[in-house]
Amino acid sequence: MKHKRKAFNHLLSAFVLMVSLSLTSLVQAQDGKALFNQKCASCHAIDKQLVGPALSGVEDRWDDKAMLYDWVRNSAAVIKKGYPRAVAVYNEYKRVQMAAFPELKNEDIDAILGYINTGGAKAAVAAAVPAGGSPADDSGESDSNLLYGILTLILAVIALILLQVNSNLRKMSDESEGEYVAEPIPFYRNKAYIAIFAILLFMGGGYLTFQGAQGLGRSQNYQPEQPIYYSHTVHAGINQINCLYCHGGAQESKHANIPSVNVCMNCHMGINEYAKGPKIYREDGTEVDGTAEIQKLYQFAGWDPNKKQYSGKGKPIEWIRIHNLPDHVYFNHSQHVTAGKQNCQTCHGEIQKMDEVYQFSNLSMGWCINCHRESKVQFTENKFYSIYEQFHEDLKNKKLDSITVEKIGGTECQKCHY
Amino acid sequence: MKKGSGDYKTTLEMKRSTIVFFGFAALVVAAIGCSDVKRTPGKVYMPDMAYSRAYETYSTNPVFADGRTSQEPVKGTVKRGDAYPVHIEMDKTGDTANYFASRILSNPIASLNAAELKETERIYLINCGICHGPKLDGNGPLWKDGDGPYPAKPATLVGDAKYESMPDGQMFYSLTYGKNLMGSYASQLTAKQRWEVITYIKIKQGKIKSAETPAATKDSTAAVVIAAK
Repeated sequence: MKHKRKAFNHLLSAFVLMVSLSLTSLVQAQDGKALFNQKCASCHAIDKQLVGPALSGVEDRWDDKAMLYDWVRNSAAVIKKGYPRAVAVYNEYKRVQMAAFPELKNEDIDAILGYINTGGAKAAVAAAVPAGGSPADDSGESDSNLLYGILTLILAVIALILLQVNSNLRKMSDESEGEYVAEPIPFYRNKAYIAIFAILLFMGGGYLTFQGAQGLGRSQNYQPEQPIYYSHTVHAGINQINCLYCHGGAQESKHANIPSVNVCMNCHMGINEYAKGPKIYREDGTEVDGTAEIQKLYQFAGWDPNKKQYSGKGKPIEWIRIHNLPDHVYFNHSQHVTAGKQNCQTCHGEIQKMDEVYQFSNLSMGWCINCHRESKVQFTENKFYSIYEQFHEDLKNKKLDSITVEKIGGTECQKCHY
Repeated sequence: MKKGSGDYKTTLEMKRSTIVFFGFAALVVAAIGCSDVKRTPGKVYMPDMAYSRAYETYSTNPVFADGRTSQEPVKGTVKRGDAYPVHIEMDKTGDTANYFASRILSNPIASLNAAELKETERIYLINCGICHGPKLDGNGPLWKDGDGPYPAKPATLVGDAKYESMPDGQMFYSLTYGKNLMGSYASQLTAKQRWEVITYIKIKQGKIKSAETPAATKDSTAAVVIAAK
């Protein structure tokens, strides 16, 4: 009995020790993460070279741990001392001096190293977990369309067979009753059928002709394949990059500019792989390798991702223009975005949900005019419209409750055609 | 004889109807099965009107040496309303002389009034907040405590001694030419906007006050208090 209790006590103390040990290591790892993010993460990642080297396995690369501590606290001094590893790293990374962290104690550096040793594995696991989104989600509608089509077809076949059976039965019953059976008129000579068919053909053909003629020159839903698979869902949707970050010209010029490659490289100098977002698919359902698309960008930019420098051999990306207005129409983005305070989505649709961008609106004149008739101009706190004194007066005197674009000449021909 | 010919007629008739039926069915299947992804812009009435014969912003252009229609402003010109240019060149790789020399540059934007502050905040949120965070804590949507796609922690602009004490000129150098993993923002922000953003950061750091200081509102509340008494 006594023995048992002793053994139990031993076990308990061992258990407590283990728990407390694992807890302290957990706490240490937590501290390590916080410290790492605070002090190191601006220039280092665990398994990726950024401004400085990847830190995974850093302890193995430094024979003398005391030197590593000194290096973190004041790298310049260690280089001056001529410690070989320090000098080698300094030269390898373009002689960029690592910032000094004199406030870090040995324990802090140990915590950071502990996080580096465990954190790398965690990051890999996190990256391996596939994120949601499958092609079935996107093509659900077309699937059901196909289903409805097949269903309609089957029903039509059944109806036809039943009609045939019906007429055969009638014929048989008529014959058995000895009635005179007229030679059946084939359906393609039946006048009623021909008339119905002609009317349907006229209506259907007329509708299609009208639609086709009206659609000529309007490229609604035009969705060309671009030289780089650039997903607006990933950039503007998931990562919440403002439209104006890349298309800032929309605020101050006629054009919503196509960003130059250096704007892409603002982020993609660092982001060289597509690992954390959901899977992305082309319209035909094939999966897109985001990392390969980023590599294409590097080709265009003339960026060497290994040496982390530009080769100077870049070339422009020839994006394919989607929205095109004829020369005789004047459209100005800044007028609509800055003065008119319109959202991009009003005309371009939910761009932040488009992987491959398509032309959302038909850009017809009727479409422009409709919007000009319905949209109210924000007159207050808008210097652009200060010239319309009478309207301001009327608004003040409550003679008018709002001003539409039409009222300030938004449907005059010369506003857009000159 | 008569019956025979009738039989022949019905078989012919059935044949025709089957052909018509299957033809129709094939059309329906083709219409449904076709992809609705439109990879071509479609036809136009008058191509010479729809597609400009004149050079457009992004069209290729044989007139210029680099073959592009959109050209950079002539070197040395200053955009109307923009801040004066700064004559410090970008450092060569591995050199930091100019980065340190830029400390002497003084910020032409001393402070921002309420309207300017609002506008600069908008500019900051569009261009900088994505990495440095709407709260200037270096935790924007691209970093998200390490869960975002960006591999490096963006600088903590408020609360980090290094950036709190960084001279305006050095910030301007980084905004203009880029620093470490940050790229140049000279193509997205005018020189004036860059200085304004720096002033905005300094206001948020509490280093300088907004031009319309809260003192005015304090006074008015004081007046109200006095009136109430």
